[in-house]
Amino acid sequence: MQPTSSMNEEFLKKWQMGLQIFHPSIDNTSVHERKKAIKLSADVAMASLRKGTTCWSRALIEKTATEDNFLVRQMLSGIKAEALINKKLPKRTVCHRKIVRRSKKILRRKSKSASEEAAAKAKRLVKRRTQGLRNVVPGGELMSNDVLLLQETLDYIVSLQTQVNVMRSIVDAAEAEIER
Amino acid sequence: MLEGLVSQESLSLNSMDMSVLERLKWVQQQQQQLQQVVYQSSNNSHELLQILQFHGSNNDDLLQSSFSPFQMLGSGFGPNYNIGFGPPHEAMDECISRTSSCHMEPVDTIEVLLKTGEENRAIALKNKRNPEVKTRGEEKTEKKIKVEAETESSMKGKSNMRNTEASSDTSKETSKKASEIQKLDYIHVRARRGQATDRHSLAERARREKISKKMKYLQDIVPGCNKVTGKAGMLDEIINYVQCLQRQVEFLSMKLAVLNPELELAVEDVSVKQAYFTNVVASKQSIMVDVPLFPLDQQGSLDLSAINPNQTTSIEAPSASWETQSQSLYNTSSLGFQY
Repeated sequence: MQPTSSMNEEFLKKWQMGLQIFHPSIDNTSVHERKKAIKLSADVAMASLRKGTTCWSRALIEKTATEDNFLVRQMLSGIKAEALINKKLPKRTVCHRKIVRRSKKILRRKSKSASEEAAAKAKRLVKRRTQGLRNVVPGGELMSNDVLLLQETLDYIVSLQTQVNVMRSIVDAAEAEIER
Repeated sequence: MLEGLVSQESLSLNSMDMSVLERLKWVQQQQQQLQQVVYQSSNNSHELLQILQFHGSNNDDLLQSSFSPFQMLGSGFGPNYNIGFGPPHEAMDECISRTSSCHMEPVDTIEVLLKTGEENRAIALKNKRNPEVKTRGEEKTEKKIKVEAETESSMKGKSNMRNTEASSDTSKETSKKASEIQKLDYIHVRARRGQATDRHSLAERARREKISKKMKYLQDIVPGCNKVTGKAGMLDEIINYVQCLQRQVEFLSMKLAVLNPELELAVEDVSVKQAYFTNVVASKQSIMVDVPLFPLDQQGSLDLSAINPNQTTSIEAPSASWETQSQSLYNTSSLGFQY
């Protein structure tokens, strides 16, 4: 599934709408502020593309809201998607690492045959990687099962690709404009 | 995989094919009649032996026709039926001249396949038969001799017992055998070779196949995933890719902030933009394009201190082979720039 041009257009529109909210307040801001504004609006636009159907979009909006609640609300109202900010997320599962580690050690003491060890090692690797994936994908820790995680990852990757595509074309266009 | 299996087992698939085909048809149409047929055939084990030995011709045709029901079982099934179909052939190889106990085996595999696709049917089927674990080589032949010698009623009891004793593959698979005693009065059914057909393992298998399906989609979309096999490697690539994309977004937003002090996205000519949207590839290759591009910019106030970490981090990730590709991409992108 590749990002379609319609997705690109939608993203661009929403991004523009979001950025326009910043317009009055950008006169004396630094590069960092501007970058933050750009990225924020881009993220919100990307997440609102999914209209709250996916877990990562809701988590992303929540994350951006913690950084700058007011602006995000404004943006969302601009994009006409206020409902998104109120969507509930599944509960975060708290995992007490010490207890888990101790229980795993106990389990590990039992089976020591070669093939089982190899299989166990492979499983450990996969688990570590899935944990890494959870860290990267927004809202990953909230997803309890692997199937959902992979689905969300797929969707997230496609959305990221649209985001990058649009941003890059804008940047290229802006550069060309300046070079003129 | 399927063709290999077919070539191996085609010689030995003689007697079982017809029964597979027959059973498949039964399963799909009338489940109750299936029970009856089984019941009858269990009573007449001699007849069944004859029937089984009778069909020795046209393996390919039978195979083809037996494939089509599998294909009918669902579109989202494509790779799955290969996986599911493989082991039954091995199993059937083993039980060529067996008694009626074998004939349920393909139905069981159907049940397993159905489980992955249409769980309702599978559960209904399962409830009507007694799936049991299949054991390894010698134990099978041993069972075969004993099974042939005994009568049906005693067979059920004894073979149940033997199964519980002999099969010690994994703790999970041996767990629920004794409890799954058959309601109907016929012989035990063998599961796919080396695997149980109790609900937990079936559900696990279905879950595993879902995961592998999702991984395949991800493989298509993440560039460079085709070379790596196995879950861990692919997950690694996926993580790297997502991180790359995120870094790219940061980088581009910083660049845009620098280039565009008014924060206006100049989109005067939407049609021109369309051309870019389709051609700009958000792949790892193009990340390298951005990195050399930036130092060449001599415009305005570049906040280089903020940029450098971005640069270095995005350089470490890609491999050496990208360098050459990125160079060519860079050239094409600068040349094909029309405005």
